[in-house]
Amino acid sequence: MTEKDFDLSRRSFIDRVLMATAGAGMAAAVPWASAAVGAAPLAKSDRVRLGVIGTGDRGRALIQNIAKTRNCTVAAICDNFELHLAKGRALVDPSTRTFTDHRAMLDAGGLDAVVIATPLDLHKRHSFDAFDAGLHVWCEKAMARTIDDCGAMVKRTQDSGTVLQIGHQRMFKPTYLNAVKRAKEGEIGAITQIRASWHRQSSWRRPVPAGATDRQINWRLYRDSSAGLMTELATHQIQVSNLFFDAVPTRVMGSGSICFWKDGREVYDHVALIYEYAGGRKLIYTSLLNNARYGCEEQIQGSKGTIEPELGRIYQELPPKELALLRMQADVASGHKRAVPIGGATWFAELPVTTPGEPLGWGEYDETMLQFEGFGEAVRTGKPLPGLLSQAYSASVASLLGEQAMDSGQILNWPTSLVAI
Amino acid sequence: MADVVRFASMGTRVELHRFGAGEDDALTAAQRAIEAVDNALTIHRPSATTALNERLMAGQGAGIDDPLLFDALVAIEELQAATLGLFDPAADRRFASAGWSAIAFDRNSARIEASMPVALDFGGFGKGFALDRACAVLRAKGVVSACLSAGESSIAVVGEHPLGGGWPFSIPHPLRPDEILVELELIDESVSISSTVGAGTAAPERAAMIRPIDATIVSAPRCSVAVDRLGAHAEAMSTALLVADEAQAECLLHGDRTRRFLFDFPRGAAIPINQPG
Ligand SMILES: NC(=O)c1ccc[n+]([C@@H]2O[C@H](COP(=O)([O-])OP(=O)(O)OC[C@H]3O[C@@H](n4cnc5c(N)ncnc54)[C@H](O)[C@@H]3O)[C@@H](O)[C@H]2O)c1
Repeated sequence: MTEKDFDLSRRSFIDRVLMATAGAGMAAAVPWASAAVGAAPLAKSDRVRLGVIGTGDRGRALIQNIAKTRNCTVAAICDNFELHLAKGRALVDPSTRTFTDHRAMLDAGGLDAVVIATPLDLHKRHSFDAFDAGLHVWCEKAMARTIDDCGAMVKRTQDSGTVLQIGHQRMFKPTYLNAVKRAKEGEIGAITQIRASWHRQSSWRRPVPAGATDRQINWRLYRDSSAGLMTELATHQIQVSNLFFDAVPTRVMGSGSICFWKDGREVYDHVALIYEYAGGRKLIYTSLLNNARYGCEEQIQGSKGTIEPELGRIYQELPPKELALLRMQADVASGHKRAVPIGGATWFAELPVTTPGEPLGWGEYDETMLQFEGFGEAVRTGKPLPGLLSQAYSASVASLLGEQAMDSGQILNWPTSLVAI
Repeated sequence: MADVVRFASMGTRVELHRFGAGEDDALTAAQRAIEAVDNALTIHRPSATTALNERLMAGQGAGIDDPLLFDALVAIEELQAATLGLFDPAADRRFASAGWSAIAFDRNSARIEASMPVALDFGGFGKGFALDRACAVLRAKGVVSACLSAGESSIAVVGEHPLGGGWPFSIPHPLRPDEILVELELIDESVSISSTVGAGTAAPERAAMIRPIDATIVSAPRCSVAVDRLGAHAEAMSTALLVADEAQAECLLHGDRTRRFLFDFPRGAAIPINQPG
């Protein structure tokens, strides 16, 4: 891609975000998005200097996205597993400092903020250490392993006057922003149900390279380090649900099991939950690891239509048409007269509608890049992107509350003791 | 100019297609007329009919205040006689003796009494009755060409086809959809199709056809078609034909062989059609 192509596709991406966030009520609904697109480009020497902790799969994707921003730069990387550190090193300028201990990286200075892409149970410790070093934090979702730890992270960033931003990239994705806009404009009527799923056909188990332990590589599969499907996948979709319902859940019930992959893992490989929202609205959520047919989607169901943001489609509710009579209309219009067949079924089940719907948005450029431009702007001005942390906090709490509901078999109310943002 | 409204009413899909002349709000007014009939005659939610049924099942008489229900009862009384008693909205598979014969309806005092517990289920009659009301509204609003359908088994037309002449309809064989049972041309008429076989007959809300004489369910593979000036009459006639024995059928068909049809299919032909439910 030439510089010019890059500029064009970047420009069109930003334009899409701008268009999607321009509607009535959008500034209030997704305030972080317009703040992020407004970020000022900075000269190389002025860019926000980031130290990345964790150069595993996600950390390396983040490094590549940061490189595309106009206001951030990777100044240091850190991973305590040499193989992963080497893979990270291959992506950055040879002059970039590398560390195997995050404290050493913090002590070495020369950073404005850290990016945390380590296993979930380490997010709290790594962010606390960064706050204590006077740095801002961009941390991957979910926030932390427990609801209390999520609250503690919020409290710590508030007390230290720093920026804490959590990596939920859908909040910056033009198709999602555009979907929110169209829902706000009433196109799909009153939203009463969201059906979301993340279905995969994969054990989720990674091969363990020499020199590493299973728990180190497959931290997602063990309860000490992860709530499994809930914190890794469901958080994203619960956040989408909260955004469309413009609320947090009032209570949650669920059932979880290790149903298929009985390979020594500790986290559920199959979860089904109902999150209730005020007014009887519901998020119905399932995630499993042995059938990918319905994949990853949020079906946002209103009285006038449905939005499926992952597919990028919007569907209108239309009364079914009688095909024979439809043909009669067309016949008359073309001056034709032929017998209309009647007497067929008067009853039919409501089968899934397979019409393609309308395209909702556009192709994507890179919402992950935009997250960092927004973060860079927040760090530079010392002001967090509005609304974003509270979205992330709610989504993380909801995913962990879902885990508790499944573990206990109880219906759990939304906690009343959360930290106010 | 052609316009159309589609909505759900009377437990089915309703479509009203208007061609050419007529007031702008004609279709909306016709829709309201159909919904009003549904509101009065439905037994699936509280209505004048469910209130009446409660009293009749409790062995009590009742005054009929609802004008639509009153008109429906007047029509039913006439159709009872016109169909040899075979069209019977009070037939009940639980009691052979239950039926319209147990009912005494006095038009003058608008009162109904029953000699045993009975309940009314207007079924297909309601659809024809509603389409009649809608047709009347359309005519009053200057519409000269329209086609109304309540599900695919009840159709009414106003005036001529937009291209002139009758409205052509074909009724496919319920078991062999590639074959045509009968072709019809309608002008200012209604057609009703009743069937014990074919798509839709296994639908959960589709009331079984009950033979009023002995309260048995008609299960022989059979399909009847009736055309009449009024939809309510067409519905009553197609229902009556479906439950008629040979002599009764002969008598009913004799009335008008170009407007009434009965098709008996060989038993083996009745391939059950599975409906997801
Ligand atoms: N937003 C998204 O779409 C998305 C996608 C994938 C992963 N993630 C998140 O990113 C995070 C990392 O996931 P991943 O798939 O990259 O996992 P990973 O196991 O591939 O990477 C984690 C890295 O952290 C390193 N690490 C562990 N302990 C460390 C320590 N004390 N100091 C320094 N490095 C340490 C590991 O060696 C490893 O390289 C998780 O929070 C995950 O939820 C987010």
